[in-house]
Amino acid sequence: MKNSEFENILDECLERLDRGETLEQCLQSYPEQAAQLEPLLQMAQAVRKASAILPRSEFKARARYEFRSALRAGATKKRQSLFSLRPRWAVALMVVSILLIVGGGTAVAASNSMPNNPLYPVKLAAEQVQLTLTPSNMGKARLCAMLADRRVAEIICMADKGDVRQVEILTQRLDERLEMLAILVSVEKLEVPAVESVPRAPTEELAPPPAPSEEARGEGDVYTRANGRARLRIIVAGCACNHPAALRAALGKAPESAKPALRRAIFISEIGYERALAALD
Amino acid sequence: MQNEESLVRRAQQRDERAFAQLYEEYFDKIYRYVTLKIGDRMEAEDITQQVFLNAIKAIPSFKWRGIPFSAWLFRIAHNQVVDFLRRKSKRATTPLEESLVASNYDSQIYDPQLIAEQRLDIERLLVATRKLTPAQQEVISLRFAGELPIAQVAKIMGKSEGAVKALQHSAIVALRKAFSVA
Repeated sequence: MKNSEFENILDECLERLDRGETLEQCLQSYPEQAAQLEPLLQMAQAVRKASAILPRSEFKARARYEFRSALRAGATKKRQSLFSLRPRWAVALMVVSILLIVGGGTAVAASNSMPNNPLYPVKLAAEQVQLTLTPSNMGKARLCAMLADRRVAEIICMADKGDVRQVEILTQRLDERLEMLAILVSVEKLEVPAVESVPRAPTEELAPPPAPSEEARGEGDVYTRANGRARLRIIVAGCACNHPAALRAALGKAPESAKPALRRAIFISEIGYERALAALD
Repeated sequence: MQNEESLVRRAQQRDERAFAQLYEEYFDKIYRYVTLKIGDRMEAEDITQQVFLNAIKAIPSFKWRGIPFSAWLFRIAHNQVVDFLRRKSKRATTPLEESLVASNYDSQIYDPQLIAEQRLDIERLLVATRKLTPAQQEVISLRFAGELPIAQVAKIMGKSEGAVKALQHSAIVALRKAFSVA
């Protein structure tokens, strides 16, 4: 009997045990494999029993409360958000109209503004619209990387001025962008279908998937996305070196009062890029 | 559970009830998966909580393209675990936490003998899973702690169902060997 056939039988028996059938019923269905199956199914039952770990009841209650609070906070924020009340095209139209009214020069000025500038909220709004209107997850992830780059430049500028509050707010925004980047690339990874390979004998690690057939190559989207992912990884790997380094360099020049906030920004950037790179791997 | 696709769509519209239903459905499974992967109760609690907070943030970007919601959620959990393990490798490592089991059964009828047996079972399992390869550990965690069928495990791991069945087989064989020498 081929290994793959036995693996199918083993899995079928595991499913049947999950549905409440007994070990004996499973073994009766496969008398020829019973001797080989029995110890494995017994082991699987022991693993299932041992892994039935329950969360502590007080933790579960606290987690449920915090989850519901976060949901409500999100819903409230969403209700308060002017942009979220409108469809994408309406948001775009509104922002374009604002920019036309205030003039192109203002838009450019806003894009270069720092957090202590009155035009900075326009910059943030434009970024949010850009994110909303970017259709693909990979495109959004690239944009997140670009926005993280901006936040780091702003953190350095604000730390230099000794504006601790702004450094803290910007660090939070940097963390959110890097987290979003990691989540988006993870979602994108799931959406790239796995190439079906021939079932094989039990093995510790699987070989890389076979080279795509001509037919598979016809589904160019998967490969385009794979290339986009590789390019994004290069960008993120560069930022993972440059951003913490730039923040560390700023630490030397920053006023003492801003140093703790800047150290936290360094920590957040290191962790955030590690997380993003792990998601891209 | 009510049709999952409709629940997810409602959750994407910030329907609190729908999201809460998904939360109740997956909370224990995610907790078990994380615990089996890291073997530390306190950290597993923090990570599990963070998985669902991340899911609130990310759910608007979830799209139904043949990917089950569970695969998406477990992928978030997987990333959190990887993130944690990377950070942990930079710090001093801590031994498996004894209290992992000690307070896990507080909601059950108190039976010292039963608790002792269960503690032994979990400790042996945690020790044994550390002898598996990362891919085998992932299959065992998703399949037995996460209670996911092979098709969903395959989606999460980006492998074919045949490959996951092969890994499942080799993992059970390896666990049996590890248990027999423990």
